[in-house]
Amino acid sequence: MSIANQRASVTFDKVAKSFGSVSVLEELTLAVEPGEFLVLLGASGSGKTTALRILAGLETPSSGNVIIGDTTVTEMLPKYRDVAMVFQSYALYPHKTVAENIGFPLKVRGVAPAEMNAAILDAARQVELVPLLERYPRQLSGGQRQRVALARAIVRRPAVFLMDEPLSNLDAKLRGHMRAELKHMQHELGITTIYVTHDQIEAMTLAHRVAILEKGILQQLATPKEIYNNPANLFVAGFIGAPPMNFLKGKLQDGLFEMQGGRLGTSIKSSLGEATLGLRPEDAHISSAKTPAFQGHIYTNELIGDHTLVTANIHGQMLTVKAPKEFSGAPGDAIGIDAPANAAYLFDASNGMRLR
Amino acid sequence: MAEANLNRHHASQRSLAKRLFEPPSVGKMAPATSAFVYTILALWTLFVIFPLYWVLITSFKLPQTVNEGPFYIPFVDFTPSLHAWQTLMVTNFGDTVRSFANSMVIALGSTVFCIAIGSMAAYALARIQYKPKVGSIVIFVVLLIAATIITVAVGLDWRLVFAAALAIFFLLLRALSKHFTKHLTNNDILFWVISQRILPPIVVIIPIYMMFQSIGLVDTHVGLILAYACANLPIVVWLMYDFFAAVPIEMEESAQLDGATRLFIFWDIVLPLTRPGLAATTLLTMILCWNEYLLAVFLSTSNAQTMPILVAAMNAGDRGVLWWSMCVVIIVMIVPVIAMAVILQRFIAKGVLTGAVKG
Repeated sequence: MSIANQRASVTFDKVAKSFGSVSVLEELTLAVEPGEFLVLLGASGSGKTTALRILAGLETPSSGNVIIGDTTVTEMLPKYRDVAMVFQSYALYPHKTVAENIGFPLKVRGVAPAEMNAAILDAARQVELVPLLERYPRQLSGGQRQRVALARAIVRRPAVFLMDEPLSNLDAKLRGHMRAELKHMQHELGITTIYVTHDQIEAMTLAHRVAILEKGILQQLATPKEIYNNPANLFVAGFIGAPPMNFLKGKLQDGLFEMQGGRLGTSIKSSLGEATLGLRPEDAHISSAKTPAFQGHIYTNELIGDHTLVTANIHGQMLTVKAPKEFSGAPGDAIGIDAPANAAYLFDASNGMRLR
Repeated sequence: MAEANLNRHHASQRSLAKRLFEPPSVGKMAPATSAFVYTILALWTLFVIFPLYWVLITSFKLPQTVNEGPFYIPFVDFTPSLHAWQTLMVTNFGDTVRSFANSMVIALGSTVFCIAIGSMAAYALARIQYKPKVGSIVIFVVLLIAATIITVAVGLDWRLVFAAALAIFFLLLRALSKHFTKHLTNNDILFWVISQRILPPIVVIIPIYMMFQSIGLVDTHVGLILAYACANLPIVVWLMYDFFAAVPIEMEESAQLDGATRLFIFWDIVLPLTRPGLAATTLLTMILCWNEYLLAVFLSTSNAQTMPILVAAMNAGDRGVLWWSMCVVIIVMIVPVIAMAVILQRFIAKGVLTGAVKG
């Protein structure tokens, strides 16, 4: 029954899920290429974990189909789907040693002991756990536990990897390290991976493609670069980027964005009464010109290290700019900010759609 | 300078009261509190230990020693004698050992039965969402009552009546169940289970006696095992439910994804993780069955007589209360319980779930 193909594709075909009258996933259609690393990105309650659990078979969709490889698995029990999942909580078995934990999927399948031990050793080697095989989970650090969970997932070479926020319980430094390890491992093994996270940096760094979900609706599916450079709507634009994109309310007059205390010529030659201008902090700069695009007062500035984030109050609207670390303005000082015309993103303020 | 002196003075003035009555840290008691608490504990310990001591020395007393008493210290107050021990362990050895064996078989049998059925029921309640519809339950109960009345009043063959009732039940269920919206939840079921234990057993003892009599279970081991299992199942389900509910569900989901069956997950993952709870529940059930008197007094006469009945028998002879013999039987009764507690105690350790989830 299991899906033999090592590099399986995954398809969500109009998959919807509702609990009672609450809809958590609305007709998700999504095709994942064999060997692809796809990240499902969204805030909590966006439906990303539900989508993953439906793929694993832990939830049944209200409608639609899930296809792995050439097999429709919608009605199939989890164990026949040939997927392995790494849970946010790792879900290690505390009464089993590391070796027993890693070997569990093989034990269940009745693999011969010799073959099983070889596979355990092989998986442990991949995640550098060989010296810890006889320990119990409680004797391991968070990062080590996380690696045991990974080893348990790779030991049987599944058709698809599912990961539900696997790094979110690690401290920041370890998270960065494990992120690199994960990316490398996925590249080596070439197993189709679907990875759920709310962390945009994980999404940007790990994914071949990112699917952004919000309120159960797919907002955009594209490469990290495309998502950063070309967000489909206001939500995506605000979700991707750190510090987040500035949004300024105003009106668009034949390509000229106007608000109180600022005006910026853009490349979008249209008009709209209520428009939102999106401007990334890294795309704007502090200007000493006589008539900069935006004029206001410094609200606060934060020295990050290699740069300073300066937030200006432009007649009641906040605009954050990335400035050199040498910047030395005090709150209350007058400030001018400029940005090139091609850095401006424009959205329809009424529905959040991007104006192009 | 003056201010510093003042502060120091202030501190030393407060220090005695502070040292006596203020706890040095959150995890420690103040000396005065500590002294008070330990005094109470010491008194309570004496209060608890003394009856046990009294039972022990009384078992070595002769009847006249007991009657002339009280005597407190063997070899000083009175000369200990093996008279009672000899009566029960040599002269009436057969009787004693039979009651002991009966108690063992019945307590162990019903405990095993209880734990096996009860833990599976508790696991199901902790993991599977049941939604029995109120309307269906009402139909079932009404039909049950109707069938009983018809059988008794009209005198029809009960097999016929109940088969018909069952058929009607399923027909009605098919026709009506989709119109019923109100349903019960697992919490209702759990409460219903534990409510079986709320009534005092004396309420049901006569029906049970009559039932057992009609199917020949009175004064048999199987009868008592069944009765005890039914009496204690609610407690087992209720206690084990919490232990099963505490097992992180991701562990089971992960095992399920890795290909394990539900029974394998229960056996290989869930049971080992709930071992402390299982051990504690087993011990409690054992003790409840071992000490049970009321059901035993109705349901066993001689063949299945248990230890508590033997103890009571020492009170019922025409020679008055045989305190010395009673004490011997009590000591014999205590020993297995202590042994069980010692054996199971090492399983009743905490921290089994450490390392399962989170970093």
